[in-house]
Amino acid sequence: MEALFIKATDETPEITLNHVTGEYCISHRSLPENAIGFYAPVFDWIEKFSQNPPVDEISFIFNLEYFNTASAKQIAKVLLMLEKLSEKIDVTVVWKYKKDDVDMMSSGLRFSKLLNMEFEIQEVE
Amino acid sequence: MHLEEKSLEQLTNGFKLFEGMQKDNLGYIYRGLFTQNITDSILALTENNLESVGESSKVKKRVFSIMVECLQNVTRHQTPESVEVVEPEQSGIFVIQTKNNAYQITSGNVVEKKAIPHLKQLLEKINGLEKDALKEYYKQILEDGSISDKGGAGLGLIEMARKSGNKLYYDFKDINKEISYFYLHTAISKELEEQIESVDLNNIKHLHDIVNKENIMLIFNGCLNQDSLINLLSIIEGQSIGAVDIKKKLFNIMVEMLQNIVKHGAKKDENMVGNPAIFFISQVGNNYILNTGNYIESHIVDTLSEKLDHVNSLEGDELDNFYTRRLLNFDIDNSKEAGLGIIDLRIKSGNKILYNFETVNEKISFISMQVKI
Repeated sequence: MEALFIKATDETPEITLNHVTGEYCISHRSLPENAIGFYAPVFDWIEKFSQNPPVDEISFIFNLEYFNTASAKQIAKVLLMLEKLSEKIDVTVVWKYKKDDVDMMSSGLRFSKLLNMEFEIQEVE
Repeated sequence: MHLEEKSLEQLTNGFKLFEGMQKDNLGYIYRGLFTQNITDSILALTENNLESVGESSKVKKRVFSIMVECLQNVTRHQTPESVEVVEPEQSGIFVIQTKNNAYQITSGNVVEKKAIPHLKQLLEKINGLEKDALKEYYKQILEDGSISDKGGAGLGLIEMARKSGNKLYYDFKDINKEISYFYLHTAISKELEEQIESVDLNNIKHLHDIVNKENIMLIFNGCLNQDSLINLLSIIEGQSIGAVDIKKKLFNIMVEMLQNIVKHGAKKDENMVGNPAIFFISQVGNNYILNTGNYIESHIVDTLSEKLDHVNSLEGDELDNFYTRRLLNFDIDNSKEAGLGIIDLRIKSGNKILYNFETVNEKISFISMQVKI
């Protein structure tokens, strides 16, 4: 399957989903007006990946500085798909937040409580 | 004034301010430090708004180039050499409004009093020259090479006069014995060749007094869409706001408040790209007060006020649980709505959301909202 790469803009995050290099990452900021439309290719990619996982272990990184509420729901969907995938292969979610960013840390905590899977919350400089 | 009183006063003033400005269709005021980034964002914001109202490309170009000169003037001269620290009440101001079928552009910045006679002389000279003579004068200065260390020699002023086809109106106002405000105004008629006869700069002086007194950093009145939202955000991001976490909160709350309007706002004119709205931020002590005002369809007023009251009545864990339930409720999940915006505003600000409705007519109402951080 093909890798997915979406470049960051002022309002949308960078997305890297690549099973060859082993990079699975959503970073920068996410505040699109139409979050559903933006995340659709991500859902498709994970769906396809999950049908026949080409690797038996992944580490999925969220390194966001900000997301709006419309994106929150889409991120929840991504996480639920990863939870499902973790029944087939080893999946670890790594939720990064910048030192002192209480909001981003509590978002990570919230998600980690909702999910039954490996979930690491990491402070970064 | 006490924070509570001040914020309530602002909430009710929102509608009046909007009604007053709405007739003029567009207007915003920025007050603060001018940097390249902030200047770029103000330009982009204007471009977006001129586009939204379908302005002709000729007028757009003129407004744009005059703004560039005007903003560069403020940026260059905002810190006079004799002034070590610019006090907040000495920050520059930039105002664009549409009035009398013209775009009215005004800037205000601090100048040293000793520079005033030369400045006056220059402005009078420019105002006394006709189109061709202006062009000659421009060339002459370029050839002389007498460019000042701040990079200007009145070229910007000449450009403004040439592009606007109008006089440069100006005024000064005492700050202390060393410095004054310098107000510079010009107008671009929508009917290109029309001359604007006279301008009352007292209005602008008065407005400047108000925004100084209320400590308002930004007033935006215009069409709000995702693009103008992004530009407004970068204006705020470019501000030197103390603590990083406060700045971040301000950013987060702005996104939710403004995206609410982009998604749920109503408009009177269907041809507009974006929803008419007013947005202003002021600072009271260590607090920031964010106000929005926009039209909504009258039939959603009841549901919306119930929702706001409900969210306001929740505290701590209840609020958190409500957020989580909504987050996982995928029945409410479409391009218009995630059902989380208001809860998020309440959680992130740590304050209740103040609101007020005014009926405009059967179909349309006006909502003012205020969030304090």
